[in-house]
Amino acid sequence: MIDDLLHRLGLLQGWIFETAILPLLYAFGLMDYADDVFDWMWVMMFGGVAVIVAYLVCRPLELWRPVEPRGDRKAIRTDVTYTLVHRLGLIPLIVFVILAPAGYAIDRALMFRGIMPEAIDQYVPALADWPLVTLAIYIVILDFAEYWRHRLQHRLRWWWALHSLHHDQRQMTLWTDDRNHILDDVLQSVWLGAIALLIGVEPAQFPVIIILLRLVESLSHANVRLGFGRVGSWFLVSPQFHRVHHSLDHAGPPFDRAGGCNFAVILPLWDMIFGTYKPDRSFPPTGIRSKTARWAGLGYLQHQIEGFRRLFRALKPRRRSPGPVVEPGE
Amino acid sequence: MLRLLALLVTVAVPVSALANTVIVLNSDDDSMSVISGSDRKELSRVPIGRAPHHLMLTPDGQDLIVANAGGNELVFVDPSSGAIRRRLPKIADPYQVGFSPDAKWFVTTSDRLDRVDIYDAAGFTLAHRLSMPRMPSHMAFAPDSSRVFITLQATDSVVAIDLASGNVLWTQPVGPQPAGIWMTPAGTLVVGIMGSNHIAEVDPADGHVIRTVETGRGAHNFLAAPDGKALYVSNRVASTISVLDPATLSVVRTISAPGGPDDMAFSPDGTELWATGRWRSQVDVIDLATGALKGTIPVGRSPHGIYVDAAR
Repeated sequence: MIDDLLHRLGLLQGWIFETAILPLLYAFGLMDYADDVFDWMWVMMFGGVAVIVAYLVCRPLELWRPVEPRGDRKAIRTDVTYTLVHRLGLIPLIVFVILAPAGYAIDRALMFRGIMPEAIDQYVPALADWPLVTLAIYIVILDFAEYWRHRLQHRLRWWWALHSLHHDQRQMTLWTDDRNHILDDVLQSVWLGAIALLIGVEPAQFPVIIILLRLVESLSHANVRLGFGRVGSWFLVSPQFHRVHHSLDHAGPPFDRAGGCNFAVILPLWDMIFGTYKPDRSFPPTGIRSKTARWAGLGYLQHQIEGFRRLFRALKPRRRSPGPVVEPGE
Repeated sequence: MLRLLALLVTVAVPVSALANTVIVLNSDDDSMSVISGSDRKELSRVPIGRAPHHLMLTPDGQDLIVANAGGNELVFVDPSSGAIRRRLPKIADPYQVGFSPDAKWFVTTSDRLDRVDIYDAAGFTLAHRLSMPRMPSHMAFAPDSSRVFITLQATDSVVAIDLASGNVLWTQPVGPQPAGIWMTPAGTLVVGIMGSNHIAEVDPADGHVIRTVETGRGAHNFLAAPDGKALYVSNRVASTISVLDPATLSVVRTISAPGGPDDMAFSPDGTELWATGRWRSQVDVIDLATGALKGTIPVGRSPHGIYVDAAR
């Protein structure tokens, strides 16, 4: 059924491309880009499908066993805007316009000198016949990279200034995952793009990764009273696991060591290995203590401006003081 | 998803020898479709490596070379069954590949890396590496194997390279986004002008455009009939295939080929034209007598290179 569905989606894409996009590329003398645009259109469509799949899985769960009533609808609307603007527009654009050409340029420079970076399945030729095992290895590596990026988001003062926008939210829902400052998204794309280039992830494999990551990340932010139990907690981040990370007690400064916990995105294993796992089974209230619900309710643009303001404050030279760490943005 | 996973795992099983095997490269799926030509059914879809675009027989006809542009390798495949025989790594971005008529040279164009590599075909050892303006694409050889002519898609030109010395002989503009290139029996070159609706006839001596012939929007690639009586031009934007008289280059008729036809091949009996439809993940089978679409075969994403094996 799934392969049939994918084929039909491909036909729909082909039809849109043939009737609307290709004639435009032709008219504007951009036929060189026909293959690239066709490929990236697929990535964007997969982004859309990923959002729909995540909604179809998470929303019924939120209705079934919500942790808290949906009070602040304005804040939720901001998160929905984030999802639509970033996931379907900005991130593919960043990857398409900045990362892919940069990757090509690096590849070109290396390979003209005879240096040929090999992908994982080329180091281990047996993997070439097992694309799914290769894909699983890629996901584990990228998830490991995401764990450490997330640690740094909480550790570095300027990065926390940006990431604190994500933690402002007191009304967590399946949409909250995309509430990130645009600079933070650029950093994430560069980070993941560089690692993907290094280990040789084939762009064609990205759609599957995108859907999987999307589903797990939406679920982990969903407003649902759901944990995966003692055993399950070893394998997959649950809404309960991630809610503890977002709790009023753990999200604030001074960053990742003093109180911060449960940073993993997909595999909780990383928290267990690196000592940041908190075996707390509660569903605590979320947000940042010093930020009232007002911050979460800002509209999309206001919120972005607020992010720049926090970043500016964090980067401003501080006077040396023996007092407690002051959170940027206050 | 489970079915997809199961399919991906199980298709790695080699297939037995078949009559009339058709092999199609699904460039976006990193896979190779093995199709039964007689009943027009996809028999298996095999993971082949990264970004496979084009394929061709070795000069001795024993192996089918699948060029994995993203995987930087050539895969040698049994032409009659699609079974993988061996892999030759460290061939940088082989997007298009070609042997000179005397089988002495093996040339790869790298549209991602903007370069042309000329190998000594006997051992695939690198003889010359040339940095090119953006997107070197298709190639054609001089009948005496002295030169190769390559379209430079992003700079609207064609370059002529001396194979023995690796020297560029000339670079000339031919029209927007030139793609396919073919040497006519009369000794001139024809080039598919993808950014326009025509092909250009080019003088191989100095690269000047002799004339243009209108075919269809997005004129892309060529295939000559084995008997030399017809030349087929795929038009990617118009989704048509133009049939030309190779002697006069006049258009005899135009055939509908849905899905942005790209590469083409003949059925072993010469009665059908098979074309990959990039945008629709399908192969079009066209009856050459009537020009009618006899059927379409669903394959993987962005099918590009196609090879039809004659019954052995």
